[in-house]
Parts: sequence; structure tokens; C-alpha cells
Amino acid sequence: MGYDWDFSYVFKNQGILWEGFVGTIQIATASLFLGLVVGLFLASLRMSKYRLLSIPATCLIEFLRMTPLMVQIFWVFFALPILIDVRLDPFAAGLIAFSMQSGSFFAEVFRGGIQSIDRSQWEGAKSLGMTNLKMMRRIILPQAVRRMIPPLMERSFELIKGTTQMAAISYSDLLYNAMVLSSQLYRPVEIMTFTALFYLCFLTLISFGMRTIETRIEKARE
Amino acid sequence: MIEYEWKFREVLEYWPAFLNGMALTAQLSLILLIAAILGGVIVGSARYSKNRFFNWPATFFIEAFRNTPVFVQIIWFFFAFPILIGVQMEGFYAALLGIGLNMIAYSAEIFRAGIQSIERGQWEAGRAIGMNYFQSMRRVVLPQAIRRMIPAFANRVIELVKSTSIASTIAVGELLYQGHQLANTIYRPMETYTIVAVLFFLMIYPLALLTYFLEKKLNVDMRSN
Repeated sequence: MGYDWDFSYVFKNQGILWEGFVGTIQIATASLFLGLVVGLFLASLRMSKYRLLSIPATCLIEFLRMTPLMVQIFWVFFALPILIDVRLDPFAAGLIAFSMQSGSFFAEVFRGGIQSIDRSQWEGAKSLGMTNLKMMRRIILPQAVRRMIPPLMERSFELIKGTTQMAAISYSDLLYNAMVLSSQLYRPVEIMTFTALFYLCFLTLISFGMRTIETRIEKARE
Repeated sequence: MIEYEWKFREVLEYWPAFLNGMALTAQLSLILLIAAILGGVIVGSARYSKNRFFNWPATFFIEAFRNTPVFVQIIWFFFAFPILIGVQMEGFYAALLGIGLNMIAYSAEIFRAGIQSIERGQWEAGRAIGMNYFQSMRRVVLPQAIRRMIPAFANRVIELVKSTSIASTIAVGELLYQGHQLANTIYRPMETYTIVAVLFFLMIYPLALLTYFLEKKLNVDMRSN
């Protein structure tokens, strides 16, 4: 039963793992930014006065929030190319799937933040003669953004964890490269354990950073 | 752009495959739900305990599992764990272990936060009328805390059902896996994956409606109290 651990396999081949980690960072940052853009866009559609815009946006947001990420990745990678007649590489497919799904979650955060601002704030601004845009920029958004930051960070954390699912369509992120390496060397125990611990350290660091930002915001409010 | 000819009807003739997939997705979800509740209560109580002997390992467990991707956990249990313990393991059990432990960590935090959110005064009131710790827990604190846990937990259950689809990567024959196999045999990925997505939506959306309903109802109840 006793297993002979030998982590030298990991260290001798760390190059491919680092490459994978770079891949993870690339897809995570790209889809985070694109996701925020998509989120702003979907949120403004959903909050629009025109039902022709708000109803389809609501349906899309709900559908993307209520279906598994893995299914969306597979759909974009295998099905979408047939529909639009364009070949997508794993990075492009992942970018579309991630930014659409996290965009939907972000949209709900934006909407929730704006709608959480008390009615009287809108009325106060209006009575000062501000236009809609000015009201948004000077009164509503400064208050709303603070409330949005914690859920936005939580969602971004989920996004980073979700990037591992790109391995299923052979995008070389850290997990995929680790899987390739462990099947080449027949050393899944060391390589997978190392990979899991690496993710743990990386994500703990990120969640620590996020918590620091959160407490700073709390303090700034007082 | 080439006009694409949709052939949903042809693909739907393979409905037994979709149905089998849905059955396994439901089975996985149900087992995981029970594990999340039981495990969440046990680990959450340990995390809540003031005794370091319980508190530290529980905190470590929760943090470790919440700060690693669930996919990595599944892969670890599928490829590494069997070698370590010297036992063959089916994908089904690796998926249960990976997703299950992850879900337990999340529900433990929900359980602990729920209990901690109950004001001190409620404990003191229980004590004042002669209840011991367990009596006040069971009769005073838990009934209030559970209400506060329900919306967060319901959200977690949605995540749980969604994450079962990851098991498809280790050949567990749930809905996405069945779709994947079918798409590869009949070369109709467009229709097949669309049907898979819609079926997942149909399984998950009722849970979302239930969550919205519970959130509203419990909020109203709390205000009227």
C-alpha cells in the first residue's frame, strides 16, 4: 500500500506546468474583461424601458445562469462553428463561453446594485434638475459601485476556478498540461497533487487579496 | 453564410440516451444533496465549535476545498487517489467524492454563518428559562437560523446540479456525456448540444424559481416578525 512519493518528476518538468499557468492567466484575464463589458451591455438591455430589448436580455441572462458552464463550453466549441461556419480554436471558444456566462452574472450584479439605491436618491437628483446621465454618474453609480464590488469579486473568483473546465476542450491551461504530463510520465499522484496544491495557493492568495479590498471598502464607508 | 438545415426531430429520436443521461444527472444530484446537508451540518458544527481540536481541521477543510477548482478535485480523485489507496475507482465515485467534498465545504460555511447570525440574546433567553445548550440550540437557535440558511443553500444546490456535468469528462454517463457520445456518433453536434443545454435548463430552472420564491417568502416573514 505504501506509495513512494517522488516530486522530482514535477520539478524536472515544471516548464510545461508554468506554460499552462500562463494559459490559465490569459484566459482568466481576457474573459474577465470581456465579461464585464458583456455584463454592462446585458444589464443596460435588461433595465431598458423597451420590452423588445429587456425581455430577450432577461431570457438570455437566466438561460446562461441556469445551465452548466461545461455545457456552454461544449456548445460554443462544437455546435456554434457549424451555425456561423467559422472554426473556433479552444481559446476563442472558451473566451466566448466564459464572457457570456460571467457577463450574465455580472449583469445581475450591476442591476442589483443600481436598483438597491433608494428611490429618494433619484428623486433628489431629479429635483436638482439633473439629466438622467448626470444623475447616474454623480449620484447613483458612486453609491451603487461600492455595493457591487463584493459580489463582482466573488463571481470573478468563480470565473478563475471555472477556467479549469477549458481542459475539457484541450485548451492548454494548468490543469490540461498537468493531465498531459501525468499521462506521459505515469505519475498522476505527484503531478495532480502538486497541481491541486498550486491552485490552492494561487486561489488562497487571490481570495486574501479580495478580502483585503473588501475590508478597505468597509472602512472607507465609515 | 451557409443556410443550416436543422434536424431536431432526427436527433430527438435518440431520446432514450437523453433520458438515461438525465436520470444519472438526477441521481448524482440527489446523492450529493444528501451528502451536502449531512456533511455540511457536521463540518459546520465543528467549524463553529470553540474547541480547537474540532475547529482547526474543519476550517482547514473548508478553506482547502473552497479554494481549489472542483474540476481539479474530481481529476485528483479519479487519477491520483486510486493509486494512493491501491483500489480501482469508477468515475461515478470519483465524481461523488470530488463534488461532494466541495459541496460539503460550502454548505458547512452556510450552516456556520446561519447559526452565528443569531443574536446572543436568543441564547441568553434560552438559558434564562432553564434550557441547556442543546435545548436552546434545537428549540430556539436552529429554527431561526435554518430560515436564514435556506436561500443561500438553495443557490448552492443550483451550483451542485450544474457541477455534475463536469463528471462527463471522466466518462460518467450523465446528460452531457450522453450528448457528447451521441454528437460523435450521428454528427449532429448543433442539435444535440442545444437539446442538452435546454434539458439542463429545464432541470435547473424550477430550482431557481423555488429559490426566488423562498427568498421572497422568508424576507416577508422576517419583516412581519
